[in-house]
Amino acid sequence: MTTLMRRLKYLTAFCACNALVPHVQAARLPFENDPAEYYGSRFFLAMLLLGAGLILCSLIRYRGRLQGPMSWALLIAGVVVVPSISTMFGTLLVFERAERVEFCGSCHKAMQAYVHDMENPASESLAAIHYRNRYVPRNQCYTCHTSFGLFGTVQAKIAGVVDVHKYYTGNFRRQIQMREPYRNDDCLKCHAGAVKWSVNHEGSKDSILAGKATCLGCHRQAHPAHTLSK
Amino acid sequence: MAKTNISDSAATRWLVVFSQLLSLAALALGLQFVINTTGGTLFLFSSIGPLLVMASSAAVLGLGIARLRRRHSLFQVASFEPGQVVFRQGETGDCVYFIQSGAVEVLRSDDGTESVVARLSSGQYFGEMALLTSQPRNATVRTLTASRLVLLGKQNFLTMLRVMPSTREDILKTVQDRAMEQTGS
Repeated sequence: MTTLMRRLKYLTAFCACNALVPHVQAARLPFENDPAEYYGSRFFLAMLLLGAGLILCSLIRYRGRLQGPMSWALLIAGVVVVPSISTMFGTLLVFERAERVEFCGSCHKAMQAYVHDMENPASESLAAIHYRNRYVPRNQCYTCHTSFGLFGTVQAKIAGVVDVHKYYTGNFRRQIQMREPYRNDDCLKCHAGAVKWSVNHEGSKDSILAGKATCLGCHRQAHPAHTLSK
Repeated sequence: MAKTNISDSAATRWLVVFSQLLSLAALALGLQFVINTTGGTLFLFSSIGPLLVMASSAAVLGLGIARLRRRHSLFQVASFEPGQVVFRQGETGDCVYFIQSGAVEVLRSDDGTESVVARLSSGQYFGEMALLTSQPRNATVRTLTASRLVLLGKQNFLTMLRVMPSTREDILKTVQDRAMEQTGS
């Protein structure tokens, strides 16, 4: 293959990667793009295409025969090395993309009502207020429904896998319910350090921090967590 | 009863193709996930994808290990039923065969017609040419009766020739005689 043909091939592959991936991120503003996710997803896509290319090349050229080192090299690269690297990178991408609001909303029957309420500018629910004012700048569902620290992340990921499994096997109730009452900690992880919160909760701060009073015990009356339309 | 069917070329090819298709399916799941990230595509990619990759990798690595072991095997015994193909013309040679019992026929295919070029019996050997020349098998060998063959892997065969000059001379003479028989001179 001439140098020109080889360069054209690489250029085509690069354009294909860049053409495909931005489609996924079309809804995000430029400053919202995480460089790690931006380049990681392109690298992941390039690895997928490379792996597919190696496998197809091996299938077309050798048709399952193992003759010589090149056939083995293509086989091991296409079946073992590239897919393994792709799977590892893809797993990182899974963790990143599973935190997005649009991902939560993709389970339409279970979650769409909550996402709609949150994104509704006229809604007065806590979720909508936090979303509308960008008190939570991004990944709003995940941020509010994940406990603090590494273990909170692990719990959230495990719960997410269970939820996805339940959704696609049809084992969920409408209307869905939380596994346990919403914890004070999940509000306090953002609010507890704020001066405004300390001033407004001067009289109840101790009981809230001790868990004797719940945040939603008061706030649900004025602004429920979510307001779902019938 | 055949203990080992050494010439599993069709089965090997199907295994290679199957493992490649499994990997292709895993890559397709990844592609689907990165283009359209939903709960379903994420679930498929994160649960089914790794399983497909592991299965295909295990198949390929197992095949590689089996090939490597055979290439470095030291007198592995294999039993063959009558009419069973030991190896086919054009395959990669990785071991030499010593006939412990039974008989085999050597077939050469030229322009689509297959003809018997030799019949070998107990005490004789075959398959050395491919190891010496590093070329594909130049004939097909099929058993005439129930046979027990002793395999010696390529590396050990070449080592044997190197450390035992008298054996090397015998084998080279046999190779020369067979080549002369085939050319008819």
